Amino acid sequence: MKLPLPKLESLFPPDEQAGRRTMIRAVDVRKVYRMGAVETHALRGVSVDIQEGEYLSLMGPSGSGKSTLFNMIGGLAKPTSGKVYIDQVDIAQLDANEIAWLRCRKIGYIFQTYNLIQVMTCLENVMLPMSFAGLENDEARDKAMYILKLVGLAHRPLHKPAELSGGQQQRVALARALANSPDIILADEPTANLDLHTGEEMIELFASLRDELGVTVIAATHDLKMLKRSDRILWLADGQIIRAAHPREVDFASGEFH
Amino acid sequence: MSKIHHQQPPPFAVAFGIVMQGIRIRLGRSIVTLMGVMLGIAFLMSMLTGQTIRQGVSRETATRAEARRMVNFLVAETGPLAGRGLNVLAAGPLNPTERRVLMDLMRAGITRIHWAGATPPADLLPDTVLQRVTAPASFEPEAAALLVMGDGAAASDWLGAIYTKSQQVVTATRRILLPDSFSSGIAVVGLEREQQPEELQAQADEARRNRFRSGWIIVISLLVTVIGITNAILMSVTERFREIGTMKCLGALSVFIRQMFFIEASLIGFVGSVLGALLGALFALVAFGFSYGFDLALAALTLPHLLLHAALCVAAGIGLSVVAAIYPASVASRMLPASALRSTV
Repeated sequence: MKLPLPKLESLFPPDEQAGRRTMIRAVDVRKVYRMGAVETHALRGVSVDIQEGEYLSLMGPSGSGKSTLFNMIGGLAKPTSGKVYIDQVDIAQLDANEIAWLRCRKIGYIFQTYNLIQVMTCLENVMLPMSFAGLENDEARDKAMYILKLVGLAHRPLHKPAELSGGQQQRVALARALANSPDIILADEPTANLDLHTGEEMIELFASLRDELGVTVIAATHDLKMLKRSDRILWLADGQIIRAAHPREVDFASGEFH
Repeated sequence: MSKIHHQQPPPFAVAFGIVMQGIRIRLGRSIVTLMGVMLGIAFLMSMLTGQTIRQGVSRETATRAEARRMVNFLVAETGPLAGRGLNVLAAGPLNPTERRVLMDLMRAGITRIHWAGATPPADLLPDTVLQRVTAPASFEPEAAALLVMGDGAAASDWLGAIYTKSQQVVTATRRILLPDSFSSGIAVVGLEREQQPEELQAQADEARRNRFRSGWIIVISLLVTVIGITNAILMSVTERFREIGTMKCLGALSVFIRQMFFIEASLIGFVGSVLGALLGALFALVAFGFSYGFDLALAALTLPHLLLHAALCVAAGIGLSVVAAIYPASVASRMLPASALRSTV
């Protein structure tokens, strides 16, 4: 999939604030789930700063707190203690409407299982976040068609997700994530269900979004190719960050990076 | 520091469009919910229509029995009526029983009616029989009887004139139409049956008990309907968990999620209750038609009655569906967006 980047750029108006800023900051984030009398410590004090335009990969076995951290920095859940700042705003201070606004415009989510709305066409899936953002129907349709064209799906906007291949569905999901020109793309195992070739395309796409448009990309992944392309890899285990490294410093050939 | 705004819910049309699409795609599930509404409302409608038919039929039967009794009473006083004439003094408009009495009298073979007072019912009495008179002297002297009827005060001078100059039997369908004192030599017969206060009280009690009983059955059945609809919608919430979570991730407000479920419930409620009202009315008509006869059952029903009941049923159907959607809608709207991320289904 070739991305015509100059065209993509028009979706992202230039930021008046020059220079790099901290897009996401987590300070001593703890999360405790209570199941009856049993307390599960999903996160035991995680602190991390993620810069604007960073391509960050999260690694960790299941149960390491990876998805919990993912939810926290995506504004999908609130920490038990500690602070999470998204674009310098403490999300604990926001009410439900403000969080919805944040999710709608600041963050684009990409799910491992695509999570397209099955009853809607591709076009409607991409239009949905725009409707939530208050765009008029015609305007949203034009913009959605534009984005679908960019991800290479202009020829089947009226298909239902079930009629598309996995790779095509993930492209629709990407188009939907880009709908409101977000600052952050949050992707949960985005390549896990894709074939090798489509997975690579997706990785390149993330990289170019980062390089050309300064979008912050955070991905939970075990995909070697994706890890190698990222700016930083965080390892989580038992609710804590146990290692952070640039891919250059990691010996992918050995088993140690798991 | 970037500015965070309040998210505004999208316009109603967006929610409506999504709901319509959802209903179309998940037609099977929607039809199950619809059936719940339809059956509940069909039951309500059949109860309402049945009650109207039953009341109408029993009123009609009572009228017929009462008229037959009056005519029998009259015949007992005057002898067979075939081929004879009748004088009628109408004090005012006739009630159904009096109209029925006239019909029965015609059937008994009356050939002439001399009519005085208020306008005679032209639909019951053919011109060949009816003769209007303006003075007591014009009444037929050989007539079988003088019948006083109608809603009003009988002209006592007319009655007085009759009392003194003829030996006729004077009868009245209403006790109140006859004066307290009579001249001698005249048979005065009140046809109205006197109802004892205890009897009237017993009838009112029975009617109240009936209303209470059917009201109770209706309430219970509607409660069952509501719980059925709630269950069906709750199932569809479970089915759509990921979808709802995804929408929340994309910036849908809880209000929007609730709105979707309420729109869906009222749409299904509307269609279901319209179908249910039709089904219920039809069922009641067929059931009571077979037991009482279709002419009687149809006569007891009037279009305004039917429309009123149907409107009531549709309002109830929409109302109940929305009430049934309250709990599932709140379950859906309280759902955490993070559950959309869970990949295992």
